[in-house]
Amino acid sequence: MRAEALLDTRSSLDIQAVSKSYRVDGKPREILRDIRFTVEPGELVSVIGASGCGKSTLLRLIIGLDTDYEGDILLDGRSIDGPTADRGIVFQEPRLFPWLSVEQNIALGLDSSGASPAEVKRIVTEHIEIVRLNGFARAYPHQLSGGMAQRAAIARALVSRPKILLLDEPLGALDSQTRAYMQDELLEIWRREKITIVMVTHDIEEAVYLSDKIVVMEPEPGRVCGIVSIDAPHPRRRGTSKFSALKDRVLSVLVRTQSAASAGLVRSHPAAQGGIARRYG
Amino acid sequence: MLLPLILPLSVLLLWQIATAREWLAPQILPSPLTVFWTFVDLVTSGDIVEGLAISLRRISVGFAIGAAFGLSLGIAMGRSAKLEQYVGPSLRAIAQVPSLGWLPFLMLIFGIGETLNYVIIAKACFVPITINTAAGIRNIPVHYVEVAHVLRLRRSAMLFRLILPGALPTIFSGIRLALGHAWIAMVVVEMLADTAGVGYMMTWGRTLFQIDIVIVGMVVIGAIGFLMDGGLRWIERRLRRWAPVHA
Repeated sequence: MRAEALLDTRSSLDIQAVSKSYRVDGKPREILRDIRFTVEPGELVSVIGASGCGKSTLLRLIIGLDTDYEGDILLDGRSIDGPTADRGIVFQEPRLFPWLSVEQNIALGLDSSGASPAEVKRIVTEHIEIVRLNGFARAYPHQLSGGMAQRAAIARALVSRPKILLLDEPLGALDSQTRAYMQDELLEIWRREKITIVMVTHDIEEAVYLSDKIVVMEPEPGRVCGIVSIDAPHPRRRGTSKFSALKDRVLSVLVRTQSAASAGLVRSHPAAQGGIARRYG
Repeated sequence: MLLPLILPLSVLLLWQIATAREWLAPQILPSPLTVFWTFVDLVTSGDIVEGLAISLRRISVGFAIGAAFGLSLGIAMGRSAKLEQYVGPSLRAIAQVPSLGWLPFLMLIFGIGETLNYVIIAKACFVPITINTAAGIRNIPVHYVEVAHVLRLRRSAMLFRLILPGALPTIFSGIRLALGHAWIAMVVVEMLADTAGVGYMMTWGRTLFQIDIVIVGMVVIGAIGFLMDGGLRWIERRLRRWAPVHA
């Protein structure tokens, strides 16, 4: 029953022709050009691409930290305007306030909710269990490992029950063992919370392991060069030939655009080929 | 543990030798023991206690006023780049004028008395606290500020969970600087333009040519200033208990 009730709260995200430029030394510099893709309710979508392709900028637009762009970002059909409680974000660094304990940091996620102190206490405790930080409620951030701090940051983003969770390379700074463990934790949270997730990453394997759909971007200016659907069921096994085939497919989209760019060819979107589902408006 | 005591003890020893061998006339440099007995006299007669009580009340009231205004304006300036542009440069210019430079001017306005003391002390506290508070807030890492925006923290959480703790070390160096300056300014005002307090006690000793009283005053002023600074450092450590020990 709980699951059904939550199904209704999942959100869809529509990125419609989003472009973004900065001014550098008085000259406009294009960061994102005509980004279009859709995230269905409950989907886990990865955005992948080389550094400089504007994927983190895109997340900043979606969360509402930067409202200066062209195009439309629709959450459940409505245009977004600044941060709201229905979107949560986990940055690459945990960004916990070092002067607050784990439970105080997580409780910040409920500050604007108007929940009573008792309710805050209950929800925070519940989420400390979800991210498996039992026993660390009163620890300070400097007493946590990188993985633990990132889990606390995930809990802080989850307490307000956002409909969509944005992850900006949240596991990028972790060692490979912790990283693999955290990927499974993330899948577990995604399954339990029935939440829509958009994750930025530069790790193809991570994207293939976790995502329903992978948006591949190329840099300068950031553009979508292909969208790969992954319909394999979870849990996925990293060693299998099917997994490798999926990785190769994503890689082929990335490599093709890079070689085309370096050959000085016209930078057009690659033609749809077998296995590459392209969804443009 | 004993390291900080080496220097004062050697000075005391040198002082003792100097007086024992009468390198200077006893009227100019009384022996440590004479000064000690003068101190005991001043304590038992109540002179020093009375003077200190007056001085400590002045510094407390003046500091409270200056700190309240300084924190408020500093927080406002740290939060608003526009306000900082309006008043920041003027404040930094004012900060270059020693608080005592204002004394003649303020004496004409407020006359000699408690008000003058409070104004000078409050002003001495206000400027460094304002400047440091504003700087501390501006230097809070933008990463944390973004988190606060994304979580849409309410004003109270913004202030007590992010701004004040984030700027605390800089605010506290401002407060310590302020209290140090204010204490010095107060003593000088008491010496020049007052009839009460520790500073006045020293002037009174000097006019009587009782250098022992002057030295007692110097030691007491130093000791109180040292204790106040130590107290502030202790409070700061208490407030920063979250910080790793070796950071």
